Amino acid sequence: MPSNRVVVIGAGPTGLEAARLAAELGSPVTLIEKKDVPGGMPIHADYAALTHHFRDASEAMAEMIDAVTSNDLIDIRTGTEVTAVDGEAGAFTVGLAANGSSESVDAGAIILATGFQHFDPGRETQQYQYYELPDVVTIADAEKMIKSGSFVTPSTGKTPERVAFIQCVGSRDRQIGNEYCSKVCCGISSKQAIEIRQMVPDARVFIFYIDMRMYGYWENEIYWPAQEEHKVNYIKGIITEILPKGGRLVVRGEDTTMGRPMEVEMDVVILAVGMEPSEGTTAMSGILNLPTNKYGFVETAHDILDTVTTTVPGIFAAGAAVGPADLDDSIASAGAAAAKAVSLIRSAGVPV
Amino acid sequence: MTVTSPPSQFTALPGGGIAHGSYADVPYEDKLALWEEVKADARFPDYMYGCYECGICVAACPSARFYDFSPRKIAQAAAREDVELVFEQMNDDVWNCSQCFSCNRCPRQNSPGGLITLLREVAVRNGLTTAKDALEGYGRVVYKIMTTGTQISPDMLQPDAFPDWGPDVEKTSDNLELWRRALPPETLHTTEMSWQVSDETLIELYLIWLHSDVMDMIEQADEGLHMIILDVMEETLEDAGYEV
Repeated sequence: MPSNRVVVIGAGPTGLEAARLAAELGSPVTLIEKKDVPGGMPIHADYAALTHHFRDASEAMAEMIDAVTSNDLIDIRTGTEVTAVDGEAGAFTVGLAANGSSESVDAGAIILATGFQHFDPGRETQQYQYYELPDVVTIADAEKMIKSGSFVTPSTGKTPERVAFIQCVGSRDRQIGNEYCSKVCCGISSKQAIEIRQMVPDARVFIFYIDMRMYGYWENEIYWPAQEEHKVNYIKGIITEILPKGGRLVVRGEDTTMGRPMEVEMDVVILAVGMEPSEGTTAMSGILNLPTNKYGFVETAHDILDTVTTTVPGIFAAGAAVGPADLDDSIASAGAAAAKAVSLIRSAGVPV
Repeated sequence: MTVTSPPSQFTALPGGGIAHGSYADVPYEDKLALWEEVKADARFPDYMYGCYECGICVAACPSARFYDFSPRKIAQAAAREDVELVFEQMNDDVWNCSQCFSCNRCPRQNSPGGLITLLREVAVRNGLTTAKDALEGYGRVVYKIMTTGTQISPDMLQPDAFPDWGPDVEKTSDNLELWRRALPPETLHTTEMSWQVSDETLIELYLIWLHSDVMDMIEQADEGLHMIILDVMEETLEDAGYEV
């Protein structure tokens, strides 16, 4: 059945924005979320402050969620999964399952916004003994600690004196299979380094990196202040291994600037893990018959000049489902996807 | 897995950065005090913002072409506040800089050359042996400038008068005119041209040096030289009617 409805899959920042805008443009929207609450990664992974303006993540997401739940044109379905999609552009039927019961909704267009998951440093290679050493954590773990308001050495509960970030964990790595840059980790590590320096002013914070990729205003708003005002130490050179020693961690690497090997003690080591396609992105690309690239992200049809149109007419993808993306990128592509979805419905002659 | 025998020189240092120091016999507290003195200088914040390793300072640096010297390493060590590394540089690297400030083209607006000025001043003020050694060959220049207000001019260069200027001084003085013409800028000033400085200017210069702790620094670097300059200049001051 031809429909003027837009179905948005995933209620993270991208899905929320796509739903809000599609409704604002006049289409009824069904917003599907597998989890019981909307908000996506910033909510489910307990993000503290957003990069790069340090805005409180809960507060920002509450605003996005309010905009969707207060709109009568948007039907938000949490705890719901998409099980099947039939039909064609302008007249899809989307099968849904929730609490053991199933139903279907008609849709003129579909927007996939299923996002990413954090790289698991324990998978396959046991990088940096992440599963073995309690004081080796990821930026996702660190974010939770920062949000809790207390940054401590996990094994002792004590205030750390020396904290190290290791960049590009699970990104830019042929052996792992993720050759891409995850875009946001440099900014997030620098943001967290600033937060840790504020929470634990006596701690020395080091960031071991390959390149600091601080594009646009991240340079002057995060990177330079981290160095100049918050005295975060950036050392060019990646840590090869972390070893426990006398209750502390020894990190080994090369201080490439000085051309010397280094072996330094730390209390906490934070792995700047990158992005991988989420389980939802993998599952939905299968159900929607969307081709993925070799890394599992959804491939768009027209590359850089149209970042949201997929090879399946009527189905659009936005945010981190199509590749590593920061919030700015995600929100922008959500808007583009919503506009294109509504535009397609209108051009099919279905009144919106 | 545990570390059984890490190379001792690479172990973490008290409160320090990540570098080992080549001066293990000097207590960390002493090194820290020197670094604090550098940081306390009012010029420091204008010389050190942050460094992202672009290397433009090294590319612009004439000394980097001839010595194992990198203004980038100076800036990095300061940015990291790596006390051990800074102390090492204060004793060694800083004396390879010609203070031309080509490194000031830094896009972060750092001044590695300015940092070196501060590091040298602290080294001299605290009488580091390496500073004394580095300045040893400049005693004559300092003496000349501080007692006459002017410098050694090329036509004064004579092998028998300047043995401390090394084995090439004879070759240089023999072909002096040719050497000078080979230099790009006009540097043919001699004792016959724009060389004489008036007593008034000399005294003014000396009083500036006296009151801005330059004389104290010379005393730290070379006590004998300090005594000679003091003798000569006190006489000049008395002749000019100053009470010494």
